[in-house]
Amino acid sequence: MLSSVQNPRILLLHHCRRSKPLHHHHRLRRHHYPKSIHASPLPHPISASLPTSQIQTIQKSILSREKTTRQFAEEFLTRLRTTEPHVKSFLHVSETVLNEADEIDRKIDRNEDVGPLAGVLVAVKDNICTADMPSTAGSKILENYRPPFDATAVRKLKESGAIIVGKTNLDEFGMGSTTEGSAYQVTSNPWNLECVPGGSSGGSAAAVSARQCVVSLGSDTGGSVRQPASFCGVVGLKPTYGRVSRYGLVAYASSLDVIGCFGSSVADAGILLQSICGHDKLDATSSKREVNDFTSQFISKDYFESQPLKGLRVGVISETLGDGVNQEVVSSIRGAISHLEELGCTVTEVSLPSFSLGLPAYYVLASSESSSNLSRYDGVRYGNQTVSDELSSLYGGSRANGFGPEVKRRILMGTYALSAGYYDAYYKRAQQVRTVVQKSFKAALDLHDILISPAAPSAAYKIGEKKNDPLAMYAGDIMTVNVNLAGLPALVLPCGFVKDGSASLPVGFQMIGAAFDEEKLLRVGHIFEQTLQGYSFIPPLIADEFKSSSVKIYQLG
Amino acid sequence: MGTRALLLLTPAFKSDCNLLNHFTKYGFHQTVRQQEKLFRVGVRKFSVHSSLERPNVARLAETARISLTPQEAEEFAPKIQQVVDWFGQLQDVDLQSIEPAIRPDTEAGSFREDNPEAFDNREAIIAAIPNYEEPYIKVPKVLNKD
Repeated sequence: MLSSVQNPRILLLHHCRRSKPLHHHHRLRRHHYPKSIHASPLPHPISASLPTSQIQTIQKSILSREKTTRQFAEEFLTRLRTTEPHVKSFLHVSETVLNEADEIDRKIDRNEDVGPLAGVLVAVKDNICTADMPSTAGSKILENYRPPFDATAVRKLKESGAIIVGKTNLDEFGMGSTTEGSAYQVTSNPWNLECVPGGSSGGSAAAVSARQCVVSLGSDTGGSVRQPASFCGVVGLKPTYGRVSRYGLVAYASSLDVIGCFGSSVADAGILLQSICGHDKLDATSSKREVNDFTSQFISKDYFESQPLKGLRVGVISETLGDGVNQEVVSSIRGAISHLEELGCTVTEVSLPSFSLGLPAYYVLASSESSSNLSRYDGVRYGNQTVSDELSSLYGGSRANGFGPEVKRRILMGTYALSAGYYDAYYKRAQQVRTVVQKSFKAALDLHDILISPAAPSAAYKIGEKKNDPLAMYAGDIMTVNVNLAGLPALVLPCGFVKDGSASLPVGFQMIGAAFDEEKLLRVGHIFEQTLQGYSFIPPLIADEFKSSSVKIYQLG
Repeated sequence: MGTRALLLLTPAFKSDCNLLNHFTKYGFHQTVRQQEKLFRVGVRKFSVHSSLERPNVARLAETARISLTPQEAEEFAPKIQQVVDWFGQLQDVDLQSIEPAIRPDTEAGSFREDNPEAFDNREAIIAAIPNYEEPYIKVPKVLNKD
């Protein structure tokens, strides 16, 4: 079956042909771009630049004093200001970014150590606690809430020299796949402002895609980092459960939640992960396993061998390329597969028959755990409180006013599934399915180094399209939820496009690895990305700016 | 026990033969033979189990301490019912010999010593309390006359 796979160069030709004469901005009637960032034809054919590590560039430039931290910070803040009215990825933007940048510049002047993320603007999903900024989890019940502590991941970022640029939008408490479930605003996809960015970490994905920040943190309970990464054309990394401390991550479903990373290159996502992972005594589920340095493998492609992935055994999950999956998504994945073959991988199909059963099992577990976790929002100790003359109606009123409809529904479904007499029928059975899923992944990963699937069955869809059909939205999570049930690490990276009217929307593919083997995923991802010719994953919203700064170099090639 | 059908993302099995080969290899014989009948191209069939009471939204809302308006309760009921029916497919799989997994089996949890520690940002905790009168958190009456 894999022999019929199209050569990526053929795909490339098709791609260029169809994208050449088309202009994106015809489609955007409701939105007007400022003149400086008007849309351009996409994607850029052939001359497209390979993604580079922005973190490494910043580190090199500021340490060699070629550019100041302030200059980098101003560059990102300017872009943030021009793009934010269209994208709306942030719920809060820090006012101290430039001061923090100046402080780093002063340290460099004094030859002090500034840390591996010095001057790197990091956006943080708003369900991750920051003591000096509001942390609302996208919910009215936490409006203006300022936690008394930083999440461990945030503390580690700050210790590495990172500048937290702001808090990004999300589906309330992470419950959703479009970011439309935020109590505050709807975020747009930078590739097409009429489309959703995915979710629940839609703000973090859109912010990296629109280059409003260098990298960002998200959280992934059932795909909330990987699906928006695919929709927004960025790299998304879901680490192994236990790799990153969950301390300070607003709990949704504790047995599934992980903090994950977004970047515009594999190296950036990997360097970000390196700085936040490791054991934390404040999270009993965080692993004591030693963390290898996996950033040293992000070498220049000039040093790659001719078949740098020779011998790597790749398993394509056959259930994920069947009916119900968009055909253009499937052909993008097939293109990625044949690229992996050219790099030396041995690709075979693998079947995971429990795959589709993972979806209802996931939703039983997530709803049940959320009904328990969200019982803490009682309006008494923090958060919004309604006026009442009696305690139980204060609880009921505060929760009724504070939670949005999707959160209420999941709490009610979870309450049902955990009711006396139903526990065995739902929660326990879902946990048994989790065992089956874990075992089938384990068996598949004994025979393969990595497993491959799409990150989502479609590219980004229109805002409002699935809003009133919960099951349709849940079905979109089929590619990702099983990985959370098994707790495995997965990396999503852009690999192609689907046609979207006159323009294109990015498609990502998912690589799943064995527990705690992020190193391998990042190595393979880096090599894949650095050898994928002819695609540019810079969205139309900002393409002009990037074209003008890099076009000279690529015209030479 | 009635049978319902719901269009859903479909697992595409090439053939039953493939499926069985896989399971002979990986060994979940029991599970799979039961599951086999569930995987149909295009339509996922599952049963609605009459032995399990259907969700009563008003009562669930009371248990979960969420004061729903009558309109909300009416609007939620069919959506919750639809999802709960969809959960029902878990009943049709034979999972008898399978141990439940309470979390990913990536690593066992390790607990720290249970020693109290002073939290150094007490003011911020107090500042977040909506209704506070030193040194108490103020709430309306707890006992209900009914």
